[in-house]
Amino acid sequence: MSRPFPYTYISCPCADTPVPDPARKRRSRGTPQKSPNPEQPNVDNEDKKPQEEENEDEEEEEQTFDPRSPRSNFSLYPPEQLLYCEDCHQIKCPRCITEEIVSWYCPNCLFETPSSMVRSDGNRCGRNCFNCPTCTAPLAVSTIENVTGNGSQQGPWVLSCGYCMWTTLDIGIKFDKPTNIRTQLQKMTDATATPSYDRSRQASRTFGDLKSPLSSYASIDEQSASREGSGEQSATNEDTIPTPDLGTDARFAALKSFYRTQISETSTSPGDPLGSDLGFSSPGALNRLMSLYASSSRLSGLYGGNKKQKSKPPVMREALTSSEGLRIAPDNGDADVIERLGSQECGWDGVASIEQRQDQSPDVRFADDLIPLPCLLRTKRAKRCKSCKHILVKPETKPQSTRFRIRLIALSYIPLPTLRPLALPSSSSMMSAPIPDLNSLPPLRPVHVLLTLKNHMFDPVRITLATPSVTPGRVASKVTVLSPQFDIGANSDVWDEALQNASAPVTGDPKLATLRGVPEAGKVWDKGRNWTTVVLEVVPGTLPGSEAEGGNEVTAKDGTLATQQDEDVLEIPVFVHMEWDAEAQLEQQNVGKASKPDDLVARELAYWMVLGVGRIQASL
Amino acid sequence: MATLKPPSSRPVPTGPPKAPLKADPTATIADTAVFQGTYPVTIGAGTIIHPRARFYAYQGPIVVGDGCIISEKAIIGAQPARSTESKEIATRLSYFVTVGPSSTIHPGAHIHSSVTIEALATIHQYAEIGSHSKICSGCEVPENGKVDEWVVVYGSGLGQRRKRAREANEPGPAVVIAAQVAQVPVPGPAPKGKVIEDARLMVLQKEREVLARMIVPAGAKKK
Repeated sequence: MSRPFPYTYISCPCADTPVPDPARKRRSRGTPQKSPNPEQPNVDNEDKKPQEEENEDEEEEEQTFDPRSPRSNFSLYPPEQLLYCEDCHQIKCPRCITEEIVSWYCPNCLFETPSSMVRSDGNRCGRNCFNCPTCTAPLAVSTIENVTGNGSQQGPWVLSCGYCMWTTLDIGIKFDKPTNIRTQLQKMTDATATPSYDRSRQASRTFGDLKSPLSSYASIDEQSASREGSGEQSATNEDTIPTPDLGTDARFAALKSFYRTQISETSTSPGDPLGSDLGFSSPGALNRLMSLYASSSRLSGLYGGNKKQKSKPPVMREALTSSEGLRIAPDNGDADVIERLGSQECGWDGVASIEQRQDQSPDVRFADDLIPLPCLLRTKRAKRCKSCKHILVKPETKPQSTRFRIRLIALSYIPLPTLRPLALPSSSSMMSAPIPDLNSLPPLRPVHVLLTLKNHMFDPVRITLATPSVTPGRVASKVTVLSPQFDIGANSDVWDEALQNASAPVTGDPKLATLRGVPEAGKVWDKGRNWTTVVLEVVPGTLPGSEAEGGNEVTAKDGTLATQQDEDVLEIPVFVHMEWDAEAQLEQQNVGKASKPDDLVARELAYWMVLGVGRIQASL
Repeated sequence: MATLKPPSSRPVPTGPPKAPLKADPTATIADTAVFQGTYPVTIGAGTIIHPRARFYAYQGPIVVGDGCIISEKAIIGAQPARSTESKEIATRLSYFVTVGPSSTIHPGAHIHSSVTIEALATIHQYAEIGSHSKICSGCEVPENGKVDEWVVVYGSGLGQRRKRAREANEPGPAVVIAAQVAQVPVPGPAPKGKVIEDARLMVLQKEREVLARMIVPAGAKKK
């Protein structure tokens, strides 16, 4: 709980409700309800605890929410982070929603990338957006024509970093065109093994292999790749001239095609479970493998110990040549690297840092070998309720727009709780007492805090607050809500009220409020247009082992008595139950009818919230 | 326009000593630039001093070469220290040095030609910065520190260092391998890294020309 005092958290009911369980929901829907509204029978139930059995109801409902229990950490959220589902009539936290990606876009050029492109080209900008490999600043495409003396906007182009002055000239690369830098760079830094590829094909293949090894190949591509792999193999068996090492991505592609041919060659018999056309990568092959392991006879057959198996399964060989993807470490590679590390011009600054190497090829050791990488794409996401699939948040698809088409945030449905300490005027003088320091509350001395609930709905709300008289946990603080039942006005037009009550005395002035006397039980402290303030009287408990408790126990000896972490934080669980009359939704009931007063539907919502009042002092 | 100008004659009867200024006639010095101290301050030809740049020549002379740009609120030199050393500490800025806004250059620093010092950078005493180097914003060069030629100091604090390309660099290993695999000739050597620096200096020259027209020189208020 890192927020400064005082804070308020709202507990999402999902912590106790297994949300994506439709069966349970149906069952709870069937339970008889006192709610007058037939279509919301489950509101009340799901707020609190899921009731499997009717007889458990009473006991479950009486359970108080313990803000200190380890589980509650996962359900407590600041009010502004919560969403609200209009179908379930329920608060939704980030754990009970699903996210789906609306669009991918490049944060640099704000161009949207279609999802098919993301799948084929990887999660990076396909245009001219690059990040500096040294310092991660965005790179600019600039020309060097005015120096080399070429015509207007002709000359060679480079990518340059405005911050650390890195340019592609540092790695000896220049570009002929200012567009499609990614393709140009791709051609320069990576090529596949077979020069017989036509250019465009090669580019597309290397793109495909670059960032998404998980993406499945198009079928034609796949077949041709495997065919070429086998052709290569026969060719390279004849001449053993060492071909140069492939780039990382090309080597991955070569290895992939090599093993695919190996699978198809070694599993030729039709009965073989590794049957040819599927390949290891398909789920069908996985099924076969699983069934293979399930039957013991087949299992032993696989290991060659069974007599039923006539022929030993052919052995798959490993990659043998560099065109198949094999790479042999150079003879004195390590020595070279060490020598370069120690050389005068490299030194500490010439070695690539871990952050710089993170996204680069694993072979890159030195700062001179770093290659600029295209910008990572970002996503816009829609959010859905997990249980009813209702859309809660839907942003505009366009990357330039920051607006939302749908955004159901919880604060438009539940009152916003705010907490502040009350400085009571002392009885003798007109000087008001200092506001208590929330970071060190003296134990056993009553503190008054003001809880304001602000309604953002256009209907007035009846609120019932309930709190355990003694907070759960070892530090037992006494809590009393002085007026547990009250109304909050509707969020009407600000000017309406201001014009109507022009002559009425100003309420809600905090300075006046501090002088309005002592808090009384059963009386609302203050009330405004759409907000109501009530007083909570809190008597902080004593910390275990502190002087106030008697001092006989020695805390140091008994480990259990020592204060656990954050046990001195005074957190009050408050159960909020709200009722209001909402207009019935048209699509549910009153299609075509004009809205009349009898169309109003009583709704209710209940949830736990936690008020973080302050920290209790260790001693009196 | 006249009303927008600050009051021209501020009564500074017992102010700090004004440093003897020896400026080239082609230099542009804003009227609100501050020159204090007892040692002389020399400004080279074509140099631009922005408003409210401060020169404190208490511990030694300050020499600024030709074609420099000293931005707003930059501080060159230091206020008089309590324990005054008798030794004279010269601060030198060579040709075409750019000093960013609010950056500090302590006395004794020697900054070679074509160096860029970005905003809020700090160069401590006796530091030496080689030519064509860059101190990125917010970075520091420690006391007696030395930055080589063509080096970028970036990051935060003392930062990391990076050598800039000066000559034509060989294509990186990835490029060579790719060309070998694709059986195309390795692309020819790229232009020398120096061309980038040449372009930068040309832009800097243009910037100086524009600034010289925009900044109200110190003598203008006399008109």
